[in-house]
Amino acid sequence: MHMPNMSDNSSSAYNEKVVESYLKAIQLIDNRVTPFLGKATTRALVQGASKRVSKEYPFLHFLEKMPYTEVVPAVITEQWSSISPQELSEGLQALLRECFVGLKELTGELIGPPLLDEVTRQLEQMP
Amino acid sequence: MQPQSHATESAYSSFITQNGDGDHITALRKQMEQLNTIGKRFVAANDRFQVHRALLATLQELYSFSACSILLKGDPFELSIIPRYPLTSAFLQAMIQSIARAASVVDFPGVSAQELAVVADLDAPDDLASPSHEIPSVATNIGDFLNIPLTVESRIIGILSLFDEHEGTFDTDLLQLTTMIADYAAVALENVRLRERQRALWEEAEHERYRLELIISSMTEGLLITNAHGVITSLNSSAQHLFSLAEVDLQQKPHTSLRQLAATTRVTWLLDFAEIVDQALAGNVVMHKELTAGTNSETVPLTLSISAAPLHDANQNITRPIGVVTVLNDITSIKQIEKLKDEFVSIVSHELRTPLTAVKGYTQHLIRRIERRLREARQKQESTSPMVELPESYDLRSLNIIQSETEHLERLVSDLLDLSRVQWGELDLQYSSFYLADVLTERVRLAQVSAEQHAIYLDIHTQDSRIVADQLRVGQVFGNVLDNAIKYSPVESRILIRVHLGEDKKACLDVIDRGPGIPAEHQPYVFDRFYRVDRARTREWGGAGLGLSITRWAVEAHGGEISLSSKGGGGCTFRICLPITGDISSQAAGSGERNSKDGK
Repeated sequence: MHMPNMSDNSSSAYNEKVVESYLKAIQLIDNRVTPFLGKATTRALVQGASKRVSKEYPFLHFLEKMPYTEVVPAVITEQWSSISPQELSEGLQALLRECFVGLKELTGELIGPPLLDEVTRQLEQMP
Repeated sequence: MQPQSHATESAYSSFITQNGDGDHITALRKQMEQLNTIGKRFVAANDRFQVHRALLATLQELYSFSACSILLKGDPFELSIIPRYPLTSAFLQAMIQSIARAASVVDFPGVSAQELAVVADLDAPDDLASPSHEIPSVATNIGDFLNIPLTVESRIIGILSLFDEHEGTFDTDLLQLTTMIADYAAVALENVRLRERQRALWEEAEHERYRLELIISSMTEGLLITNAHGVITSLNSSAQHLFSLAEVDLQQKPHTSLRQLAATTRVTWLLDFAEIVDQALAGNVVMHKELTAGTNSETVPLTLSISAAPLHDANQNITRPIGVVTVLNDITSIKQIEKLKDEFVSIVSHELRTPLTAVKGYTQHLIRRIERRLREARQKQESTSPMVELPESYDLRSLNIIQSETEHLERLVSDLLDLSRVQWGELDLQYSSFYLADVLTERVRLAQVSAEQHAIYLDIHTQDSRIVADQLRVGQVFGNVLDNAIKYSPVESRILIRVHLGEDKKACLDVIDRGPGIPAEHQPYVFDRFYRVDRARTREWGGAGLGLSITRWAVEAHGGEISLSSKGGGGCTFRICLPITGDISSQAAGSGERNSKDGK
């Protein structure tokens, strides 16, 4: 994903939108996974995924304990003010990728591949 | 706990939105019956192995697979592998690796394939060992699998895994159905876990109760527990033994209150015991109350020291105790030793008294002789000058010291004898009518000799100080309190003695000194025998700590009261109030101290 140079204010607004988009993507996964694996599964997948990626992206460490549903984009973006939009996007992308890795470990190819397509389409529509 | 599943809800919704014709009703009934059967299987499971059987039976009805497994969170975590038919070790290893990866992605705390291999428990169905069973699989790789989180109230408690050696076994429909069954299994496993926890807690409580029973039954102290009505609800063997020693048979009168027991058995000390229990029921803690449970005909009767405390319920409802816990100690042997000690003190005191009287008498005789010689020598010296110090003067000083020390020793011996008599109720009062002011004036005159460096003021505020009492003992009481005030007052300080009429026809004496005072923590004990406030300065001030103890006995034997007040800044006031008319009845109570002492 190409990241243009931006001022601090516009960078913050951009970051907030990025976070919102990825949270919506995770919510979409949750909606699709729940009928098959129950409603606690996606939350656990995100927590497990954050544990694996937080070595490379330490700012995602807090998701190991906090359910993704409790994340408020405006608040978290303020806390991540020192993180560049590129690093943020890469971190969230890695988190999402690990969620799908997790889904594959649970159900093989049953629900992961079609859902990945749907999530990718949704992210591409991100403003 | 009820299973929850979105799949179940959506399936049910689809049924109720369809037309209710006969086929649908029949289909619905069949599906409900099937759900009912599945539910019953899991509800009937009493342990995790029965849950495994229920799971296997249910899943087998739906589709074919090689094995399933259940990984449960916990410390340590537990893995049960349930094969449908014999599997190769390679296949089992692949299963364990898949389970470990699944555990890792749903945030299981640090589970590795190696650890799982160690804890894995193979729970094979019984018919697997049957010779008629199908031929063992030779498959080494997993064809298809499902790892489904086991969820209870949005909390993942484990993972249900299904494996098959063939590819493409599972589809999304089977996934949904398996998740529904996983919900049942999760609830059943959670119920088993709760039951196991409940059983463990119950066993722990039972073990603790048994341990407590052992401790209580092996206690040398008697332990007796009553309910809120004073009825004995339990007592240990030591308490039973003590009651039997006191010839009280509790077996014949079960569920009787102590007060009723006292009334029916006519055992008088039981009434005092009931009184102690009542005090504890009123919320007070009673410490070391002595009761004589034996008969007075015995040399040293059975004596019990009783402590009682209110028993509150676990909710700490302190408004009303639910019973009383009483600890009974047999202190008869201590009393026997005390008796021996008192007898010894009494004999030694008697033996000391005779030579002391002789020493005192001869000393007085020598003093008088030397005084006479000195007078004669001085008369001769008056005619011849100058005046010189005669050797007899030195002898006189030495003899005066001997006399003073002999008197001190005599007082100590007298105190020890008195105390011994008080202890065993052998000291009687000899009542007569006399003026308190006269006794006091005489005591002040005697005290003034030893209090040359103090100014003693006598202030009598009563017209008529005639009372009926034991004059000797009252004199002793005043002397002890006055000596005490002189002993602890600084040089050149004032000591005020005041006599006035108190309440209830009592004549009161206040002795007010300017000494160091008595700290509040010592005040409750100053009347105890041998008690010293400042042990470090005992040698400096002298005394054995008996005077105030005998004083209290003498005052209380007269039906009077003694009290003290002292503030932190120094100074102390002792107040003694005695009945003017004499309280003969109290003499008996006072002399019977052995039976009523609180044992402090």
